[in-house]
Amino acid sequence: MKTLVKLEITRTLRNRKFMFFSVLYPAMLFLGISLTYKSGATAGDTGLSALAYLMTSMAAFGAMTAVLMGNAERIAREREKGWVRQLRLTALPGRGYVTAKIASAATVSLPSILIVLILGATVKDVHLKAWQWAGIGVATWAGSLVFAALGVAIGYLATADAARPISMIFYFGLAILGGLWTPLYLFPHWLQTMAGYLPAAPYAALGRSIELGNAPHAKDVTVLAVYLLLFAGAAAWLYRKDTRKA
Amino acid sequence: MTAPAAKSGTAPRPAAPADGAAPAAPVVAFSGVDKSFGPVRAVTDLSLTLYPGETVALLGPNGAGKSTALDLLLGLKNPDRGGIEVFGRSPTQAIAAGRVGAMLQSGGLMEEVTVRELVGLACDLHPRRHPPADVMAAAGITEIGDRKVNKLSGGQEQRVRFALATAGANDLIVLDEPTTGMDVSARQAFWATMRAQVDQGRTVLFATHYLEEADAIADRVLVLHQGRLIADGTAAEIKARAGARRITFDLEGAVDTDLLGTLPHLVGLDVTGPTVRIRSDDADATMHAVYGLGLYPRNLEVSGLGLEQAFLAITDAATAEEAGNR
Repeated sequence: MKTLVKLEITRTLRNRKFMFFSVLYPAMLFLGISLTYKSGATAGDTGLSALAYLMTSMAAFGAMTAVLMGNAERIAREREKGWVRQLRLTALPGRGYVTAKIASAATVSLPSILIVLILGATVKDVHLKAWQWAGIGVATWAGSLVFAALGVAIGYLATADAARPISMIFYFGLAILGGLWTPLYLFPHWLQTMAGYLPAAPYAALGRSIELGNAPHAKDVTVLAVYLLLFAGAAAWLYRKDTRKA
Repeated sequence: MTAPAAKSGTAPRPAAPADGAAPAAPVVAFSGVDKSFGPVRAVTDLSLTLYPGETVALLGPNGAGKSTALDLLLGLKNPDRGGIEVFGRSPTQAIAAGRVGAMLQSGGLMEEVTVRELVGLACDLHPRRHPPADVMAAAGITEIGDRKVNKLSGGQEQRVRFALATAGANDLIVLDEPTTGMDVSARQAFWATMRAQVDQGRTVLFATHYLEEADAIADRVLVLHQGRLIADGTAAEIKARAGARRITFDLEGAVDTDLLGTLPHLVGLDVTGPTVRIRSDDADATMHAVYGLGLYPRNLEVSGLGLEQAFLAITDAATAEEAGNR
């Protein structure tokens, strides 16, 4: 199984085009949006500067891009080509395949997170302590596993043609409802409450909490953990139960 | 096709496995298996047993249910009714235990990796793995080890699939149309490799379109037709059942088909213009009767029936029977 994880990561790294866009897209978005900010603007009543708020949102959004876009479609295509069928004839347990896929997705999300953070520290003058930078990086990376698992589950549920639009809907829907584009504090109260139980808002909140010098909220971590179990469990179950043309 | 050579043919084949007194525990046992896809019955009441060391060919026209039967055997599909046991347990358990290797027609390969990486992966995943270098040598793919998997020819791809199916010490190897896309020499080399597996005591089940392969390689032939098992025996038995000899001759003048229909040992009769084609299970007796009727056949030819013709005869008969039952 270690070999499979290694091989999946190697394959992803070899796919330069995919790496390039996944890594650059959130960084460009971060720079672009921040140009519209007045210097010294604050992010509502969060106690953060607008730039710091945007940085964690974009790091989270970038990681979501890396793990959701493309991944679901690649898995659906592998199913249609029969590779997964071949793999099911090995002793590999369902969780092995899901683990390998999540691991390879995480290889792409790490650089996209790091680039946003580096830009924040260098170009955008966001000032944080060393442990905070490290904490944001680790938390955002770990949280991206939730969306990676969602990508695997979609890849299992949909055909190759449908996987792209479906992952787009989840990707934009979750990003918007999670306040990654429009800051959460501008949402009506009921929507803020609802967003707290969807995965993207708790995800971005991990980094924000660290920016304020606190540990991530237990509630956010719990919500994310539940989604991770849900998505990964669904993916593993679908892998084994896939008795259609897989 | 290669000459049948040694058919590695000492497989222990019990005459009547039905009474339950089989000498060896069966490798595969289907009992009364049904599988439908919507309104389409893919497999109907399929019962069959494979024993250790057998090399079994699965024949059938397209849509006969071969691939479905193999999918069921490998646990890729679940039966609607009936039981399937592989080494005495469920197909999925047998696979998890590393006892079954399979080469599927529809089995894709992982892309963007080299042949060596892929074979290494298959070996790594096998509970009773062989060294990757040995597996590649046996499959004849050592030279293309550094090639990307998605840049292979059809025949090379089949060899890589074969390597995946033999990555560990499997006791049963299942092959679905293994030589598709191979040229004649590649096919010969493939079966030579396969025989080496059989000689190590493996049980091999293969579906094929090439009847000469079944004839040359299999100890036992199963014929599927419209989801039903319509024949199960050695290639020789199947040929005999279909009518062992084919007789062809021309007659002058009007051909009296009814009269010809009274000939003894007749299995099949076909008259086209002056040409009469007869299938007979005793060509000598049939021809004796032809002369006895006062006919004077010209251009007489008597030939043994190949497995191909036998196969067509059996499936045609099954189709006719099916139509008669309606």
